[in-house]
Amino acid sequence: MIFIKGQINPTEVGSRRRLFRRKEKQPTMHLLKQIGKHKWDYLFLLPKFSVFLVFIALPVVWAFVLSFQEYQIFDTVWVGLDNFKAVFTGDLFYKALWNTFRYTLVVVPSQVMIALILASLINPLNRKAQTFFRAAYYLPTVTSVVVISMVWRWMYNSRGLLNYILSLVGVDAINWLGSSNWALTSIIMMAILTPPGVGVILYLAAMGSIPESLYEAARIDGAGPITTWWRITLPLLKPTTLYLVVLGTIGSFQVFAQVLLMTDGGPGYATTTLVHLIYKSAFRDFEFGLASAQAIVLFGIVLIFAFIQFKFLNTDVEY
Amino acid sequence: MKKNVLLMSLLAVFVLVAVVGFFTPAQVIAKDWEGKIVVWDAPRWPDENDDRFHWMKSRIAEFEAAHPGVEIELVEVPWAELGQKLNIAIAGMDWPDLAPVDISGGAIKLKQLEQGVIEPLDDYFTKDELADFFPGALEAYTYKEHLYGIPSSMTVHAMLLNLDIFEERGVEPPVNGKWTWDEFVEKMQKLTFDRDNDGKIDVYGFSTYIMPGYYEAWPFLMMDGARPLSEDGEEYTFDSPEAISALEKFASLKFEYDVSPMEMGGNDVGGCFQAFANPELRTVAVEPWASWAIASVRNNDKYQTNFMVAEYPIGETGQSVTVGGSGGFVVFKQSNKDKKAVVVEFAKFISDTEQQYIFATEYGTFPARKSSQEMGPFADNSHMKRASEMLQYAVSIPKHSNWPQIDERIQAWLQLVLNGEKSAKEALENAGEEAARFLNK
Amino acid sequence: MNSRKIFATGLRVMAYCILIVWAIIALMPLYWVFTTALQLPDEVLSMPPKLIPTVVKKFIPLYLQGDKDQALHILSESFKSVRVLFTDIGLPKWFFNSVLVSVTATLGILLLDSMAGYVFAKKQFPGRDFLFWIMISTMMIPGQVTLVPMFILVTKLGIKNSLWSVILPPLAMVFGVFLMRQFMKTIPTELIEAARIDGASEFKTYWKIIIPLSKPALATLGILTFMSVWNSFLWPLIVLNKSYLYTLPVGLKTLQDKNLVNYGLLMSGAAISAIPMIIVFLFFQRYFIKGLTLGGLKG
Repeated sequence: MIFIKGQINPTEVGSRRRLFRRKEKQPTMHLLKQIGKHKWDYLFLLPKFSVFLVFIALPVVWAFVLSFQEYQIFDTVWVGLDNFKAVFTGDLFYKALWNTFRYTLVVVPSQVMIALILASLINPLNRKAQTFFRAAYYLPTVTSVVVISMVWRWMYNSRGLLNYILSLVGVDAINWLGSSNWALTSIIMMAILTPPGVGVILYLAAMGSIPESLYEAARIDGAGPITTWWRITLPLLKPTTLYLVVLGTIGSFQVFAQVLLMTDGGPGYATTTLVHLIYKSAFRDFEFGLASAQAIVLFGIVLIFAFIQFKFLNTDVEY
Repeated sequence: MKKNVLLMSLLAVFVLVAVVGFFTPAQVIAKDWEGKIVVWDAPRWPDENDDRFHWMKSRIAEFEAAHPGVEIELVEVPWAELGQKLNIAIAGMDWPDLAPVDISGGAIKLKQLEQGVIEPLDDYFTKDELADFFPGALEAYTYKEHLYGIPSSMTVHAMLLNLDIFEERGVEPPVNGKWTWDEFVEKMQKLTFDRDNDGKIDVYGFSTYIMPGYYEAWPFLMMDGARPLSEDGEEYTFDSPEAISALEKFASLKFEYDVSPMEMGGNDVGGCFQAFANPELRTVAVEPWASWAIASVRNNDKYQTNFMVAEYPIGETGQSVTVGGSGGFVVFKQSNKDKKAVVVEFAKFISDTEQQYIFATEYGTFPARKSSQEMGPFADNSHMKRASEMLQYAVSIPKHSNWPQIDERIQAWLQLVLNGEKSAKEALENAGEEAARFLNK
Repeated sequence: MNSRKIFATGLRVMAYCILIVWAIIALMPLYWVFTTALQLPDEVLSMPPKLIPTVVKKFIPLYLQGDKDQALHILSESFKSVRVLFTDIGLPKWFFNSVLVSVTATLGILLLDSMAGYVFAKKQFPGRDFLFWIMISTMMIPGQVTLVPMFILVTKLGIKNSLWSVILPPLAMVFGVFLMRQFMKTIPTELIEAARIDGASEFKTYWKIIIPLSKPALATLGILTFMSVWNSFLWPLIVLNKSYLYTLPVGLKTLQDKNLVNYGLLMSGAAISAIPMIIVFLFFQRYFIKGLTLGGLKG
């Protein structure tokens, strides 16, 4: 939206120069020349790309290699697809997958919907109120998951705040994190009640950029606020919704710190999620090969989901 | 053109640095017995400045003074993170020289031991020296007939009884700490009550927790004679009738007799301890703990409790049973023989007769050396003395290279039983099926 | 007309109610962190929970009644766990480490990402799109995938157990490149062309034209980076082994000595680690918002 069109084509200058160099036929020389010509560009990129190569690209490739190996301390053995087989025949993988699905299926739509509703309610308010609510909803997001999980664990404690509130209404205490029926629900509840600050802000920004003239037109046609919202606002927010759903899904599939700090996957395996399983394989059982294979499977699942959502929601939106 | 060369060489240098940095071993090998030794330790008892590492620090200072040229670096690691940090260090081939590890516990995998991460110490001990250790302690550090560490302490799980609550309810504590299952249940029922008369139970007779790597509840499961694995460690036996009956009885504390709070069988170790020892709470009369807790509720100002030590209730076998463990130090793989000798010397230095005596009096463990025991560390501590008598009934946790995974499955199913979600039989059988895949490797 | 007005007012009141209730729910956990942190040591586990800490309720009345000693006593008791954190436990050192690491990493990222973002946004060179997409595509990979290789790598580089091991890896994060590129695309290319015609060197163009124009984006990126480094937990937990090197979240975790959970102490620690982020947020709110909207729009 803040995109400026009609820039000077930066290739223009370059392409004219290229004419003079056409005679050189060796492709390697050509490449060298190209690099030489753009040496400043490459130099600007070099620092970032170096750390990227060392601390992201190399470890990623390494992880892929590890997934075909059994990592031992003094010698590492190639095991082909054994790790991947072990992922799909393992007793916990499907439990973890199912828990992760349930978490994602509840949390992502709820968060997006809550964000949409809150943003729609905030949008017509005056500037001061807007700023206030935006800050209130975003504030919990800036504190670390460690802090948030610590305090929720404390509130879910059998002597904690939530059971006290229940006792005020005469409801028996609930074993929030301790029982299989409640543990995952408790973690989901924490995710839903931690406000979707990012979503609210993005929706507000998107609503702010909807031209007032569209609303004018609707008003002249006699449409009420709800009709306007349904017919105009909602369709125009689709790109934001798509963005939030895709990002939310990627995030939810990686839910981990909460699980580690609050239930450690228990009771039984009621709250084991995919990343928690990966973490356990890697840093409790020290099956690095298996852990890498699990991580790669997770990556695949996330990709498929993101792709489906894109296809499904991305009917007439350009990105 | 020159500039191109410059650029390319820059790129090349970068690639080279990345590649070389990646493949050069970072570990520098000590030239001889003069050099640096890295020792990990976890918090022990606090000194007046609340420093929980003062014991190791003073040992290091003394050793360094006696061995000029030897520098010992102490890395302080909390117990809760010791296992993970150690394993990460092993994965990165960057282990310490010496660390406090129980090889049958979860901190080190027997698989790693088989791969040669831990040095066998057989050659550093004479027969006479070994004879000073209790056989059970040596046993704990022996794997496939090699000694993989120096035992420095033994622990046992025991029941701690809050005598104030017993008195409040007019309940007689078990005579000499011995009780049968029925006596135990009867007392627990009397100890469960509504203290503030609001119609709700607020003090419970018994509580504990269930978590991988923790065995406070397990003596209950063993009371009718069941054991998790067969003697040879190849078969799962926790689905025997004795195991099922014991687990059913254990769960009945919560669901039939209602003498345990909702959190019983959960994974909140800290909360469980608070409920017993925090003066603001004191809402549970009896909890089983490893022997360190005795030192804590006896010596720590915050948690001082009027308590006694009792045995686990006696089941069908007519004999009380408990789970024992041992602590000590292991020496990690050394590439220099002379350095190894110094490391072993230091390990011996911190686990000699006198140090084990100090551990027993200050830290709440039992000596692994007969000579330390003979010094009478518990002369003025009847609780520890009582607990030490339980060592004779102590059973150790199976030594199996996949034990952490097996343990995790068993404990997961136990949690479900204590949530009232599964029957004892169903859970123990399912745990067996899941454990089987790790037994046949 | 009138009924419509009432209807509109009713809607507005309802909107406010929903917003306020949700704001209370949203802020409750944070409120509870601070409340627990300030409760008297023997109040933390009390039933019913003290929704307002005694010090807030009693300090001013007592002080005004002239009972200064009692008032000050309550005040000092309330801050007992904070005091314990600052004197008995190495919290000041952890705090300093967190500041050092976050600031260094943030400055590093600002420099690297603005340089990279600049050429990705404004330059044409062979392999540009390829390199860009390689970098961006790794954003989808869960961090856990690289944890193990990263650890081995850091060990091999010999920077384990130094603060470099927590400063360098964040420098590789690619979100900033994306953000800077998105923003710099909006800078008119004419400005760059003009500078070039004036004979400015490439670096001068970047430093004198691009950087000043990108200040809002830099501020945004700086804040977001600071926040993510300040809050990062798992990686420092794995690579830092010495308590004097701990960052705040790792230090907090070690406070959670498994057998002696002390919620008062934990919540005090949590509060101390949350306060800087809250302050940063309240002061630089608009940059947070800008960063989010920039990152979320089309490119």
